[in-house]
Amino acid sequence: MIKISVEKNKSGDIILTPEQLDILKELGNIGSGHAITALSELINDRVDVSLTAVYLIPFWKIPDLFENPNTEAFGIYSEIRDKPDLSIVQIFTKVSIINLVNILNDEDQISIEDVRSIQELDDFTRSIISEIGNILAGNYANALANLLSIKLVPGVPKLALDNLNAMLDTIIAKYSINSDYTIIVKTKIRVKEIKLNGIICLVPSMNILKELFKILNIKYDANI
Amino acid sequence: MQENLQIIRIIKKSFRGKSILIEDFNSDRIIDRIKLPNDNGEIVLPIGHYALINGKSDKKYKFPTIVIYGLGSCIALILFDEKNKLCGMSHVLLPKSNLRKIINYPHKYADLSVQYLLKEFLDRGAQKELIKAIIVGGSKIFDLANNVIGEENIKIITDELDKYGIKIIKKSIGGMQGRIIKFNTRNFSVLVKLTGDNKFHEL
Repeated sequence: MIKISVEKNKSGDIILTPEQLDILKELGNIGSGHAITALSELINDRVDVSLTAVYLIPFWKIPDLFENPNTEAFGIYSEIRDKPDLSIVQIFTKVSIINLVNILNDEDQISIEDVRSIQELDDFTRSIISEIGNILAGNYANALANLLSIKLVPGVPKLALDNLNAMLDTIIAKYSINSDYTIIVKTKIRVKEIKLNGIICLVPSMNILKELFKILNIKYDANI
Repeated sequence: MQENLQIIRIIKKSFRGKSILIEDFNSDRIIDRIKLPNDNGEIVLPIGHYALINGKSDKKYKFPTIVIYGLGSCIALILFDEKNKLCGMSHVLLPKSNLRKIINYPHKYADLSVQYLLKEFLDRGAQKELIKAIIVGGSKIFDLANNVIGEENIKIITDELDKYGIKIIKKSIGGMQGRIIKFNTRNFSVLVKLTGDNKFHEL
């Protein structure tokens, strides 16, 4: 189902037209489409992807976009090189990552008990997770880069394993400096067979949006 | 007004944002219920919001527990004046407000929340020299070199409290783990649980 949510903008500082939201949704579909193609090749299995939803919401409602924000999750955070205002954030359940790692690593299987914090992970496991993040973010960014004819290369992904709300603080803080509204382009990823449940989000600042719309020749409001 | 419900009221002030204000029954303020307790009877405080409890009520009053599930780089700022039965908590996100021309959520900023909370307290009869502070949070969840928001939040809040002469009597700050905080507004006790821990501990 196609979902576009636009919060009624009482503070009057950001407005996006339905056309602009549509564009973002399409970018999200294209980016996530490439990301999950790469993932399914990696695990030799089909990956279900939901349609992308675009949210323009007040910063304090961002946790509401996630089911069970008060649970532990893996977070993989990548900033685009030379465009640090554009990030790709991936959130996976603990079980998802464990199952994924075990598929990719035939020899040493890990279990929930082995995964208590990022610091406690053994190097090999950590590098697998990092690589998964890299592949997803890289393919997402690459798809957009090709579309827009610009360079978009994600930096080294940063991992976190903690309460999801706590992880979101970092992201919300960063995107809340110049505005009380944030844009999140969100796509759900699922592989039933391996209990993979995740979300991949593109988070652009308002300045990045201006740049993107300019490249696409979309008229944008002076409000952005 | 039913006594067995936690009533939250929004006070529409001169800035355009909203805040959650929990007031006693004697208040004649504007009532607009936006936030009810969760299944545990707790009030979850969103980022950039504050809650204020005025315990000076003749009627039987149920003091709520104010919670934040998943405090990362944000700071939970608690002030209380035991003698005058006032306490409050804000959920601060950023260190400084100076980049914004219009402030819709003052409690989003460390450099504003202290003074705004203080003013609310003094308006309700608190005595500044009796006010105490508890601060929780400001951790670094993603290990990025430029991820200093938590640290800066701690610094600015500490400086602000110092500036107004308010003593920090308890704290659980910094580190690399998220926290859950529960503030009991009846006895001003604070329970904190870090992500890696099994249990809450009282500060």
